Amino acid sequence: MAVNDVSLNIEEGELSSIIGPNGAGKTTLFNLLTGHLLPDKGRILFKEKEITGLSTHEICRKGIGRSFQRTNIFPRLSVFDNVQVAVMSWRKKSRNIFLRAQRLLREETDEILESVGLGDKTEKTAGLLAHGDQRRLEIGIALGSHPELLLLDEPTAGMSPEESERTVDLIQGLAREKGLTLLFIEHDMNVVFRISEKIRVMHMGEIIAEGKPEEVRANEEVQRIYLAEEA
Amino acid sequence: MKSFFKQRNNGKAVGLLAAFAFFAVLPLFIGEGYISLVNEMLILAVAASGLNLMMGYAGMVSFGPSGLYAVGAYTTALILIYTEIPFGLALIAGPVMAGIISVVVGWFCVRLTHVYFSLLTLAFSQIIHTIIFGWYGFTHGDDGIVDIPVPEFLSSITNYYYFSLIIVCICLALLWMIVNSPFGKTLQALRENPERTEFVGIHIRRYQLAAFVLSGVFLGVAGSLYCGFNKNVFPDFADVMKSTEMLVVCLLGGIYYFLGPAVGSIVYIFLDKTISSFTEYWPLALGLVIIVLLIFMRGGIVGFFSESVAAMKERGRAKQHVSH
Repeated sequence: MAVNDVSLNIEEGELSSIIGPNGAGKTTLFNLLTGHLLPDKGRILFKEKEITGLSTHEICRKGIGRSFQRTNIFPRLSVFDNVQVAVMSWRKKSRNIFLRAQRLLREETDEILESVGLGDKTEKTAGLLAHGDQRRLEIGIALGSHPELLLLDEPTAGMSPEESERTVDLIQGLAREKGLTLLFIEHDMNVVFRISEKIRVMHMGEIIAEGKPEEVRANEEVQRIYLAEEA
Repeated sequence: MKSFFKQRNNGKAVGLLAAFAFFAVLPLFIGEGYISLVNEMLILAVAASGLNLMMGYAGMVSFGPSGLYAVGAYTTALILIYTEIPFGLALIAGPVMAGIISVVVGWFCVRLTHVYFSLLTLAFSQIIHTIIFGWYGFTHGDDGIVDIPVPEFLSSITNYYYFSLIIVCICLALLWMIVNSPFGKTLQALRENPERTEFVGIHIRRYQLAAFVLSGVFLGVAGSLYCGFNKNVFPDFADVMKSTEMLVVCLLGGIYYFLGPAVGSIVYIFLDKTISSFTEYWPLALGLVIIVLLIFMRGGIVGFFSESVAAMKERGRAKQHVSH
């Protein structure tokens, strides 16, 4: 099943979310967009250019960034290194064996770390950070590749309500500040309805509703699915 | 903060200079037998450090580094016995050939990951071993190549020692540069999380191949250098035991530390010679060493000490807090 016959159009600069029950195909959709999975049918266009079938590292270079559902960082590297690796790659420095990496692109990396609220933890080992900090670090790594479209897979998963709120503020701020187009998967309805300009609902691999938060809230089919889940 | 870093770097530089000075004056105080022993340690340090670029830094565990080591040794040996090409060039040809073979072998190997990668490297080293062993007309098979002609000034043990010392220092300096470069850092990211590394825009196979080839070149340097030192080469340079030795050396010293493999080489050869001198059961002792390492000292010797020092500092700080 996974994802079937999905057609979606993401506008530049929009801040939208995808919701839906477990197994609806949300992460699979992300995997298709970022080249982790290859679609059997259909096309994916980014900035009017075809990206279907490109490998993930090529898609990343085109300007699509992503955070993952399960925390996906470089655990034994320092917080600074985690983001610097992404920045170096974006700046096409990764192949260089003659430069010293230590001070390279320091300002840019620090700025990103500052923007995700990790400015005071740069020298810490990433794997030893608290869960919430690791999630924010992941967003930092994604920002390191200067994305225009940022896909966030459950950015607040496993966070306390306060942490979750802080992260949401951060995401919103980033989107505004950097003019990012943002698409995120989220289970926490408070978060979803608070910041989404547009909500898409997935169910059984299809998008069954799409629209402004109040429209989606009023949609009968959506209500039925969510009520059925809770019952 | 800044002065702290400066201080630490100065400390490092002083330490390195002291180590170099130590090795430079060493021959004045010890006999030729021991000079040979230290020379062997130095050469093994290059092989193990080269292997560790791939293993410790990039997370690609090779079971067959001896294959490329032997390619280096045999290339130099064959050139010296069959041609009139001068020693210097024959020595350079070793790592060059090892690099070329690494491109071919690596091209296949980086298509696999984890244990499959490791087993494929083992398979290739077995192929290399078989070729050396079986091609009697060219490589002299299990007779090995003996009495390899080496220039006059390098045939003295002490002179060759200094020659090795210089090359070993250059190699370690190059490796130091590589692991601290953006490329080196990217390899570490790759080791930690290949999936994520790919999604910061890195073509991971290309980087793995580059790491494989660089490793191969340094293994080749070690092989060539050993060929000139030993003046004899044998097919068992390429066998599994030799690969195991290199892996153990890296683990012994600590694969997450730059100097781990070098320290491992010194300790390993020291243990090998001392234990072998009073028992023929060296492999038994080696087995015990491996068990102790894997169970009690996962960070190797360097890891063990640097963690102890860190813990001591921590305790010192805690005490200060209490007394205030």
